[in-house]
Amino acid sequence: MSKTPAAGLGSVSVAAGLRVPASASRAPAAGLGSVSVAAGSGVTVSASKASAAASKAATDSPSAPAPAPLLEAENLSKRFGAVEALCSVSFSINAGEVVGLVGDNGAGKSTFVNIVSGVLHPTSGHVRFDGNLLDLANPAAARDAGIETVYQGLALVEMFDIASNFYLGREVLRTGIRRPLGVLNRRLMRNRSKASIEQIAAKFPDLAAAVETMSGGQRQIVAIAKAAFWGGRLLLLDEPTAALGVQESASVLELIRGLAADSNRAMIMIAHNLQHIWSVCTRILVLRRGSLAADLQREETTPEEVVAYITGVR
Amino acid sequence: MNSEPLPKPAASFLALLRRALTFTSAKARLVVLVALCLGFAFSSPYFLTSKNLVNVVLNAAVVGILACPSTLLLVARQVDLSVGSAVGFAATALTVVAEKGLGLTAAVFAAIGAAMAVALINAVAITRLRVNSLIATLGTMAAFRGAAKLIGGGRSISVDGFGFLGQFRFTIPGTEFRLPFAVLLLLAVAALFAFLMRYTRYGLHMYAMGANPKAARLAGVALELNVVKAFLLSGAAVALASLIRVSEIGATGPSTGMGLEFLAITGVILGGASLGGGRGTIGGTIVAILILAVLDNGLTLMRITSYWQEVVRGALLVAAVAFDQLRLRRGKPEVRFEL
Repeated sequence: MSKTPAAGLGSVSVAAGLRVPASASRAPAAGLGSVSVAAGSGVTVSASKASAAASKAATDSPSAPAPAPLLEAENLSKRFGAVEALCSVSFSINAGEVVGLVGDNGAGKSTFVNIVSGVLHPTSGHVRFDGNLLDLANPAAARDAGIETVYQGLALVEMFDIASNFYLGREVLRTGIRRPLGVLNRRLMRNRSKASIEQIAAKFPDLAAAVETMSGGQRQIVAIAKAAFWGGRLLLLDEPTAALGVQESASVLELIRGLAADSNRAMIMIAHNLQHIWSVCTRILVLRRGSLAADLQREETTPEEVVAYITGVR
Repeated sequence: MNSEPLPKPAASFLALLRRALTFTSAKARLVVLVALCLGFAFSSPYFLTSKNLVNVVLNAAVVGILACPSTLLLVARQVDLSVGSAVGFAATALTVVAEKGLGLTAAVFAAIGAAMAVALINAVAITRLRVNSLIATLGTMAAFRGAAKLIGGGRSISVDGFGFLGQFRFTIPGTEFRLPFAVLLLLAVAALFAFLMRYTRYGLHMYAMGANPKAARLAGVALELNVVKAFLLSGAAVALASLIRVSEIGATGPSTGMGLEFLAITGVILGGASLGGGRGTIGGTIVAILILAVLDNGLTLMRITSYWQEVVRGALLVAAVAFDQLRLRRGKPEVRFEL
């Protein structure tokens, strides 16, 4: 499996029929610019509208097979001693969907994210990703499968600069005799992460500055940009706007909307602020006391209805 | 906040202090080292003699070799307090085996084995039994001081024909400098650790583990394995230091290696490493070790009693941390890992 970042940043490879082998999706890519569509034969066509056309064809044309769900949770349960954090939760998410995961504190939102991101093992039930059974030993295995997580509290190393944070755990080494010594290829990592972050957000005054010198919003953008950089097919965002001011929330949500435009990717966003959910999500899942209380399309529901499901009135 | 230019006239004491605090600590250490050398050169005619300068670096060699792995460990929020006792244990193992007439080769292997055994026990206690490294190595520090006395019977044991590492000197052509082999070993060890910490994935991961262990774990960094590796490196440094110590003195006793852990960790802290992890460099540590060596030597030349030297060392350790805290509060720290 190639872990080498793709040279062409801002390109996302999309296979016809929306099924990308895990190995092909490993190259980091910020899916904001051009999108290159790889046909089944492996021929690469560069066109920004092609992916939209491909997804349209896949969903509209009756002759094309219906796309398999990207993520399928089947009877997912997790117990912590006497506490049942998740009990038999089932749903599926398709590529191109942006799903808001809401619920009161302790409803099981973070537990769900932690299972899908490889931090926790489910007590029973399982998750299918891209049709394959997901049996994750650790967060690195989840990333290898194409699942990128932006954790609550970010999980950035505050003393490091952006490039070190982007590549932590997935460093590029020098080739030749320096490889077995584990010598880092600094220039390559610095240049690639710089190109990527500049494309996503051009407002970083000093890219070499430590993350601890940045504002909360900037840190959040770094964390999300990192997930996008690695081209995950599923992005898990755990409360990306929790500690941010109005202005900063707006720019983070704008970034998420930009990433959502890629129809090959699905996103799950946890948030308490329904206004934020409404501004980016197409579908809303409500968890209550570990169970799925509602599965709603945004167009067909109202914030009042969602609140009613969260609080248990409905 | 500290990016704006400082007021030009440094008239007031406050302005001077502000200037001192914005000075990078790496430069500050070098200035202190040079100032100390100049001060001692003026107060004692012997200080700048080649023989004395060689003595200074020779005294720094053993401590410096131990301080390198200590820097690596502290960067990852780990500490090894057992190095002094481990040097004593390994050195005693060497002299005991040599005394039994088993040969010097066997004795050297006994020392290496003893040092690695202490390192392994530390590593297992910390990563498997989940004992905090401060407590685990405080325990092995006490235990192996006792073990050294047990195997050596608390006696002073001498060894013959084992003086190369400590006593061999390279004469630098055209000068009177006779550079001790031990100093070259220190340079080699320092270069190895500086390379590891600055240029390799392992070094990056150690900094990440110290700066934010949770983020490092989520990123897939193998925390336990990396800690084990660092303690084994510490064991290797202890083995080398014990060989040098024995060959310098030609004998071991119940107090061999005592206090080395204090000197090494003082050097690491004085060198800019933070107890909170994530900060520290080999270069800073080496300069700090030289400061300590010069200070010891200079005070001795000025006929100041060694009791005072201990007082000065302790005060210096506290002052260094206080200075660092003041600097951290004033602005962004400059020692960090950067790609």
